[in-house]
Amino acid sequence: MSESDLPSSAESAPGKAALGNLLDWISTVDHKKIGILYICTAVFFLGLGGLEALLIRVQLLFPNNDFLSADLFNQMFTMHGTTMVFLVGMPVLVGFQNYFVPLMIGARDVAFPRLNAMSYWLLPFGGILLYFSFMTGQAPDAGWFSYAPLSTKPYNLMPGQDYWIIGLICLGIGSVAASINIFVTVLQCRAPGMSLQRVPLFVWMSLMTAILTILALPALNSALAMLLIDRLLGAAFFEPARGGSAVLWQHYFWVFGHPEVYILILPAFGMISEVIPVFSRKPIYGYAFVAGSSAVIVLLSYGVWAHHMFAVGLGMGADMFFAVGTLLIALPTGLKIFNWTATMWGGAIRLTTAMMFAVAFLLEFVIGGLTGVMFAAVPIDWQLTDTYFVVGHFHYVLIGGTVFGLFSATYYWFPKMTGRMLSERLGKWQLWLWVFGLNATFLSQHVLGVMGMPRRVYTYADNPGWMALNAFAGAGAVAMAGGTLVMLLNIWVSVRKGEEAGDNPWEGFTLEWATSSPPPAENFAVIPEVASRRPVWDLDHPEVADAEREPTPADTGWRPDKLVTSAWAFVASEAVFFLLLLVAYVVFNTDVAGEIVSAAMLDVPRTAFFSVALLGSSFTLWRAERLLNSGHHAKFRLWLGLTIVLGGFFICGQAVEYYGLISSDVTIDDNLFTATFFTVTGFHGLHVIIGLLALAIVLVLALRNDRNVLGGTTLKAIGLYWHFVDVVWVAVFCIIYLGFLQ
Amino acid sequence: MIELLSDKELWNWWSPAWLVVVCVVMLYSRCIGWVTVQKTAWLIAGLSIFVFAFVSPLGVLADGFLFSAHMIQHLLLLLVVPLCLVLSLPRNPAWQSGNTFTFKTGILGVLRKTVGFLVSSPKLGWLLGLGTMWFWHVPSLCSAATESQLLGFARTASFLVAGILFWWPIYAPSKAARMPASNAVVYLFSACLGCTLLGIYITFTAITVCPAFASPEERLAIMTALHDAGMTAPVDQQLGGLLMWVPPCSLYVAAIMSVFCRWYSVEDRGAVDLSVSGATEAGR
Ligand code: HEM
Ligand SMILES: [Cu+2]
Repeated sequence: MSESDLPSSAESAPGKAALGNLLDWISTVDHKKIGILYICTAVFFLGLGGLEALLIRVQLLFPNNDFLSADLFNQMFTMHGTTMVFLVGMPVLVGFQNYFVPLMIGARDVAFPRLNAMSYWLLPFGGILLYFSFMTGQAPDAGWFSYAPLSTKPYNLMPGQDYWIIGLICLGIGSVAASINIFVTVLQCRAPGMSLQRVPLFVWMSLMTAILTILALPALNSALAMLLIDRLLGAAFFEPARGGSAVLWQHYFWVFGHPEVYILILPAFGMISEVIPVFSRKPIYGYAFVAGSSAVIVLLSYGVWAHHMFAVGLGMGADMFFAVGTLLIALPTGLKIFNWTATMWGGAIRLTTAMMFAVAFLLEFVIGGLTGVMFAAVPIDWQLTDTYFVVGHFHYVLIGGTVFGLFSATYYWFPKMTGRMLSERLGKWQLWLWVFGLNATFLSQHVLGVMGMPRRVYTYADNPGWMALNAFAGAGAVAMAGGTLVMLLNIWVSVRKGEEAGDNPWEGFTLEWATSSPPPAENFAVIPEVASRRPVWDLDHPEVADAEREPTPADTGWRPDKLVTSAWAFVASEAVFFLLLLVAYVVFNTDVAGEIVSAAMLDVPRTAFFSVALLGSSFTLWRAERLLNSGHHAKFRLWLGLTIVLGGFFICGQAVEYYGLISSDVTIDDNLFTATFFTVTGFHGLHVIIGLLALAIVLVLALRNDRNVLGGTTLKAIGLYWHFVDVVWVAVFCIIYLGFLQ
Repeated sequence: MIELLSDKELWNWWSPAWLVVVCVVMLYSRCIGWVTVQKTAWLIAGLSIFVFAFVSPLGVLADGFLFSAHMIQHLLLLLVVPLCLVLSLPRNPAWQSGNTFTFKTGILGVLRKTVGFLVSSPKLGWLLGLGTMWFWHVPSLCSAATESQLLGFARTASFLVAGILFWWPIYAPSKAARMPASNAVVYLFSACLGCTLLGIYITFTAITVCPAFASPEERLAIMTALHDAGMTAPVDQQLGGLLMWVPPCSLYVAAIMSVFCRWYSVEDRGAVDLSVSGATEAGR
């Protein structure tokens, strides 16, 4: 762990090895490099998103300005929002998680390094798809929430919207894969002694974020799939003119969207929960509360989505309950402020840039939180929704919260990642530019919102005070852009000439500080003993070690199986996806008319027959698993083969059904029944086919006596997926063919 | 105009609920005994809520008049009362302390074993806890149970039993019977999801979930007043759906918090180990 064995590949290498170095980065499966790739990609898109923001501000500098056309303005705010959420916010957080979660739990890498690389490469892929839309003549322009019917074909003929959908599906799949990886890593790869009650709070928050992502992203994906089917295949899920429901889109989007805001803030909570204790020289005040209340946030965040829809007219009762839910979720969020403050109380505070950003976080996030609580009062929301007040609110929480947390983490962890310190002087410049910029821009927007300036409108009339406030907001935006440039300059200079950092420049508490800076490829030479929440503190201060003074629940040694755990996480994610598709079916087919259609069109007994084959395949697979476990390899292959035959038989049955329907001119664009029917059964069929492929691969490997298959848990993991697909079918059969819930 | 009913008719003082209370109190003092004030308080709370659910106007309205009142009663019986009862059980009940074998302890022992077996299966608890919720809201059953007294009794009994089985893996008096914390969180969270789905369905569906309430045979005068205040049948059902959804989930979340407290506390290790794989389950 001395300076001499720094790995050479950590940062840019001399010119002659450039190509090899590039290949090295492109093909890397090292979690640290992938983390850096995530962060760099996010910074690139931050540039694009920031440029779009500046264009918006220029357009709004004067009343009745025509710097941007109305159309272009719509594209700018759509791309700005989409970029910042999906291409900057989530990736940069995932990048930090990738880099530091394994280090903080004393692991050598994430659970699935190659999956990790795939998740990363989906990011530039999705980003390029999204930005490619500019080449088609028009970028997407329906907002980052793409409200229907504005996003449907009749109102949005250009292909930009399709690129938006496909790009987001790619990014969504990447995010879920990355989150499954983090989830399994935290559960499975912890160093001995690191019980879940002892993990650093950043790790805990990453775990919570992973759960949120795994369960929330599929909601967006199902909505996107339906919107794409509307646009490309002529269905009408979200077209009220043809019987669809535009409000359904809002429900689905916000079922994803509200958890999404917590996906963006929880890791930042984790970051300042690391920074504040270290720079106050105290353990965090109320570890259990900070951790537990975040778990509560995860649960509650699925129950408050409709606070984005108070103006839709859901009815008094619904509004009331969602208002109460919103107030409730503010509690675990807000009370944590007291934990952080109490941690600083009486501590030996060192006001480094990292710490100052954390303090700025506390102050600014409170403002954003308070305006959020204001919205929970339904009448206030009615007054302020769709004004700049909302824009002000979420920028205070996103910048004051997420971005400041990230800046804090950057100054805190940069020495670990590069071996060099960032300049504190430039850091203070960055801090004050951003603090001024944030307040200048978004405080003005709060005022403008109260004065009634609507968001998403490309210009405004010359109302008293509006121009001054907008100009002030513009100045703030310039300051924030300047602050970003200062940061980039700081990084640029410090990577080369920064002061050498050493292993633990801040006297940090957690395991990432127990290795060299930057860490070697295998992370640790020896993993230190973990007996408390601050293992490195214990190492440095054995006389006042936490392990003795503050006992924490010991490690029981429980580490779940990697593959099976990831299969469970994947199944949970897929379950949400199918659940929402089925909900759409029920929503669109509960009227009397729908029932007649479904009963008349489908051959229920025939499908029942094929369903028996599918259910039978679950049984044969179960047998195969038993036989494998008891070592009967020949019989195991037989039963596995039988499973594939039965599954294939089911798919043939479905093909026959589809053929019959389509040849009698029943297609997906006929009506809402056919649209929902084909969507649900089609996606299910797709999953069966994927399952069959996976099983076939297992069979081939088993025939070659592959040790991983015969000895490992591969079959169990795939079996879980297969049983899940069958369970989904049972639900589909009951609801669509037997007409339950109608 | 129908006359406003007097208070007397809004309160059902002669409800058979009292009988149940007497039986439970007798059983409790016989088999379990009055151990601590806290446990007694839980018992009293549980029984008072039980009585409240039937004797008060809530019980009267729930009996075929207001769907939302029915839903509150349902939740009290399925979730709150059983929770209180489970919490009222001490760790070492009277019938365990004596070693002497009597007829009573013998019977109780057998009973305990069977009940203990049923009760300690989380899967069963989860299925019954959610199953009863879904089952009794199949439209025909919901109406039937409201109209027939016998079915109504069956429903109440099934609520109480299912509720106790549901809470047992979380709050069983003996730590050995409790689930590991991680499983408990999944158990409660998925239960929340289950009632959310049902709640959303009841809230937003166009179908009348419980026809008996939408067109009651007789009307209480207070119903007219409520109706005039905007409590029409669809609003009533929407409210019922939301009640089915938000309060139980809040309760589950509260339970999750208590599980976390246990999980983080050092002394209480044994029962809440994350030892799903059974690695150190015995180390208690
Ligand atoms: C303290 C708790 C919070 C409460 C009570 C709250 C409440 C709300 C409400 C009611 C709205 C809807 C306003 C409207 O459109 O009429 C809203 C919008 C929004 N909030 Fe929050 N919020 C909170 C924290 C956060 C956090 C932590 C974030 C993200 C890090 C966030 C991000 C957003 C975003 C992005 C929107 C706008 C979405 C859009 O319409 O484009 N909020 N918030
Ligand atoms: Cu929200």
